[in-house]
Amino acid sequence: MTPTRELIDTLVECATPVRRLRPPLVRAMLWLAFAGLVIALIAMGHGLRPDLTLSLQQPAFAITTAAALATGILAAMAAFVMSLPDRSRWWLMLPLPALAVWISTIGYGCLTDWVSLGPEGVRFGEELRCLSILVLTSVPLVIALAVMLRYAAMLRAGAVAATGGLAIAAITASALPLFHDHDATAMILTWNLGTTLLITGITSVFGRRIFGPLATRLLAPGTHL
Amino acid sequence: MSPGSRGRRSSLTLVASSADAARVGADERNTNHARDWSALMARAQDGDRRAYRALLEDMTPYLRALAARCFKEPSDAEDAVQDVLLTVHAVRHTYDPGRPFGPWLVAIANRRIIDRLRRHIRARSREMELSSEHETFSPDAANFHLEDASADSAALHAAIAALAPDQRLAINLLKLKEMSLKEAALASGRSVSALKVATHRAIKSLRKRLRQSSETP
Repeated sequence: MTPTRELIDTLVECATPVRRLRPPLVRAMLWLAFAGLVIALIAMGHGLRPDLTLSLQQPAFAITTAAALATGILAAMAAFVMSLPDRSRWWLMLPLPALAVWISTIGYGCLTDWVSLGPEGVRFGEELRCLSILVLTSVPLVIALAVMLRYAAMLRAGAVAATGGLAIAAITASALPLFHDHDATAMILTWNLGTTLLITGITSVFGRRIFGPLATRLLAPGTHL
Repeated sequence: MSPGSRGRRSSLTLVASSADAARVGADERNTNHARDWSALMARAQDGDRRAYRALLEDMTPYLRALAARCFKEPSDAEDAVQDVLLTVHAVRHTYDPGRPFGPWLVAIANRRIIDRLRRHIRARSREMELSSEHETFSPDAANFHLEDASADSAALHAAIAALAPDQRLAINLLKLKEMSLKEAALASGRSVSALKVATHRAIKSLRKRLRQSSETP
């Protein structure tokens, strides 16, 4: 008996029934609904910024927030679709148009704010507040996404981690202006662009290491989200 | 057992988007051993072990053909085939029976074959193959006795075959395939600690069995 035959025997013996994954777009929507729930809970606990209604009427603010949200939604869809082995890598391109709009509006807003407010726009207290919101929003989303996409560690760890990281960064960045005062211009730039680049960079470089251990711990047959 | 020996034929659903998948599909049509792999996988997902065995046994020659194009040594190709089989097992829940099976399988196979090729190239850059000069030494005890080794090997294989499935899988991956704990955990879907426990129990059990077999003439 060859080792491959033995391996097949072992695999057949270990073949318990498994639950098929739901369609990737449905799973992306579930994750986005979870993200919405997290943001809603933070809004209840933290309170929205007082001038939110007024800010939403400003085109630059509305476009930035909408573009960040669109980037988050499209990147999440791309991550879930690409996590399956037989889907095209072209899905990686899905969030790029929204990302381009988002980045271009961030740059414009920061430039104008910087000019009008000056360097004192950055305040230490605001930074801490921002950081707490950032952590509260992004950590549950990272955990949820890593659990839902754990099997991708064996297939396309880098690409899935990059799009997943972009989705988390964009959703976090779209939620941040709901609570955070828009005056801290350099901080908006740092969080919006910085978190995107940082999370995307870290997850694409270390995606295999991040997803790998999670996959081994969480890859239990029959329990798939 | 060859795919044709079971004498079952069904419609071909192996439709691949890539050239590899197309070739696999063409081969299958030509050899007239077509099997509805998609349906077999759907049944395997529901826990039908006979369907799963039929699928894995049917797939193996095609995976071997894919791997043989990348590796000179048949043993390397066989290792790649086993990697693919393990990955298919670990991610079988990701297959959607509404979609063609070929692209799903070929995407996994390509990824695993490329991974093994990379590992192979890395290993070759820092390892040297032993020649016969390295193997022969003057003291008799240092020489390798083929007859004894094959007898020991048969006893060991028999003892491994008698292990519980979990323990056999752990021994197969960690000792026979010489994977690291992390690689074995990733390939099998088991946690590192579960693999350690299974290996420990397996070695204990193997020691007991081998001792028994050596004591009984």
